[in-house]
Amino acid sequence: MQRSGLFLLCLVGVALVAGLYLSITAQAVAAGVQVQALEAQREQTQRNIANVQSQLAFLTSATEMEKRAQEMGFRPYSAEEPLYLVIPEYPGRQTAILAPPPSARGIPQPLILPSYTQSLWEWLFQGILPAQED
Amino acid sequence: MKTQLFSRFNLIGYSLTLIGVLIVIQIARIQTSQSGLTLKETSHRIYEYNKETIYPERGHIYDRYGNLLAGNKEVYEIGVNHDTVRSPETIARDLNAILGLDYAETLARASTSQEARLYTPLARGVSAQKVDEVQAKMKEYADLASDGKRSRQGMATPSLRGLELRPQLQRSYPEKTLASNVLGFYTFFDQKKGLAYFGVEEQYNDLLSGRPMEIMRYYDPNMVSEIPPVPPGASLILTIDRSIQAEMERIVDKAVSDHNAASGTIIILDPKTGEVLAMATTPRLDLNEYWKLKEVFPDNTPFNRAVGETYEPGSVFKVITMAAALDTETVTPKTPFLDTGVIHIGGYNIYNWDRNAWGPQDMIGCMQHSLNVCLAWVAKEVGAADFYRYLDNFGIGKRTHIDLAGEVNFPLSVPGDRDWYEVNLATNSYGQGVAMTPIQFAMAVSALANDGKMMAPHVLKAVIENGHQRSFKPTLVGTPVSAKTARTLTEMLAVSLEQEASTALVPGYRVAGKTGTAEIPGPQGYTSSLTNASFVGWGPSDDPQFLIYIWIEKPTSSPWSSVVVAPIFNEVVSKLVVLMNIPPDEVRHYLYQQGGN
Repeated sequence: MQRSGLFLLCLVGVALVAGLYLSITAQAVAAGVQVQALEAQREQTQRNIANVQSQLAFLTSATEMEKRAQEMGFRPYSAEEPLYLVIPEYPGRQTAILAPPPSARGIPQPLILPSYTQSLWEWLFQGILPAQED
Repeated sequence: MKTQLFSRFNLIGYSLTLIGVLIVIQIARIQTSQSGLTLKETSHRIYEYNKETIYPERGHIYDRYGNLLAGNKEVYEIGVNHDTVRSPETIARDLNAILGLDYAETLARASTSQEARLYTPLARGVSAQKVDEVQAKMKEYADLASDGKRSRQGMATPSLRGLELRPQLQRSYPEKTLASNVLGFYTFFDQKKGLAYFGVEEQYNDLLSGRPMEIMRYYDPNMVSEIPPVPPGASLILTIDRSIQAEMERIVDKAVSDHNAASGTIIILDPKTGEVLAMATTPRLDLNEYWKLKEVFPDNTPFNRAVGETYEPGSVFKVITMAAALDTETVTPKTPFLDTGVIHIGGYNIYNWDRNAWGPQDMIGCMQHSLNVCLAWVAKEVGAADFYRYLDNFGIGKRTHIDLAGEVNFPLSVPGDRDWYEVNLATNSYGQGVAMTPIQFAMAVSALANDGKMMAPHVLKAVIENGHQRSFKPTLVGTPVSAKTARTLTEMLAVSLEQEASTALVPGYRVAGKTGTAEIPGPQGYTSSLTNASFVGWGPSDDPQFLIYIWIEKPTSSPWSSVVVAPIFNEVVSKLVVLMNIPPDEVRHYLYQQGGN
């Protein structure tokens, strides 16, 4: 009876470990599939952004804008026509600034805790085998 | 009987054990054998991961106000996977109908794997709209295939199975021909071996292209690891102003057409910084169709004449000669000169452009009437050593090192060289026997519009890399003349234009400028009746904000720059002051008093 109980206990233990392993593996695989999908989505989004920028640039190109302006009844003005005014503090038309200038601090990086990135193995042996990590 | 039975069981047991051990040994042998290892590696490579090279998105190119001049757009490569293809005929027929591909060629490519490849590309650079049509066909056939009734009746189902649609980014030039000579192009059809030619694309190819990254893309979700983001190539902000560039291209195209000229070039510089605001030349190429290069530029026609072709500038060069003479204090604006119509130098007679004698003149008159005899005398008075020292200081005979690929240079002959003769001093003084690119001359003259300080001409204003924008500061190349000389000469040229009542003058704006009509040397000397007509000018004369250099090559309507190019200069200035928001001089002075800037 005792032997049967012990055997069943072992069996339950093995089944629990196997079930846990299966569950974690399934979750890891699901996460992996999600990562693949997100990576594909990221690439697609990058292509879309580039595409939309190009389309916008075409729609606002010098030739297209001139054509649209003429269709709307505008015409180029001559040197004699403009009225110039002094507007205090107005610096005039500025050249493009499309990104921040370089700074010593740099762009702040997103802070991700190690617990989100390290494996169970790394967590278990954290601090125990520092020499190997180095 | 029992013992016999046991021994038989033992025998079976030993046999089975032996078989089991042999199987294990065989398994181990297969797995550790060379062919086994190769098989394992091959299957690993084919079924577990794909080694890919990710090419970063090529950096964008913007004009000074952030208008996109070169970007990227999504296109598709359509190919066939020979492992899964079912009906090459359907593929060939539908691609012929949608993309216009040759049926027989497509059928051949889709039917047989070329060079034992698994995948054969059929079409590149296919637009998203066309791909949508292909996908609609794919869906239509999939619906047909799932129709059980059709298969029960034994009807064949068309299939596009095996057709792969691979998205990729392709270089795109939304402005088409605009500033094409400045931009250059990238041969985008070959993403792996694409090359950059001419202009900014070639000059800054390393920055624009970024660094490709090799990655392992695992099929097994267990093995999936994050693909590191591949940073795109650096983007560039140019000094070019799209509006000015477009206007200058319109003007130069019209000028070439009106005067039936061989070509035209207009350069607009900011003399204070050396920034190129516009560089319009003919012909120009729609960069989205770069393969038409040989059609548009036959017989070694330079892609960008402003940097890629040297020529003898003629009388516009007199401003350099006069600058040297003023700076060495050889002459002043009021120095008298009696023009007899001829001067004898180095054994040759030098005549004026009209072969007439213009009588008593001062230096302003010499510039106003563009007298060769007077300027040859001026150069002689300066002396060859000083004259050529000044030319060297102005960068004549040297590359400007502008940041555009393909800059050429024609060396200047100086005293001591085998091909220099005394008469060269006279001819050089009025811009013959000396050849340069338009950008070389524009840089030299920009010193006169900037208090003697000569700035390096450039087209790059800023670089955007790793999320940061780095701006580039203007570089001083040298100070060939003093500020006093520069201002004196500017005044002389402004007065000479006014006294001449030149067609170059624009009401309300005081500008300084000089025409130039140059004979064209050939194998037999200066025998052609055709000329190079040029004009260099800057303004407003009391605070120059632009320098304009115009070159019309071989106009046939008239050989004279004063007839051909002076009105073009007028048109350029009229447009420029509007586009640069430069008020008329009176208004500007009033606004300064009111505290404007």
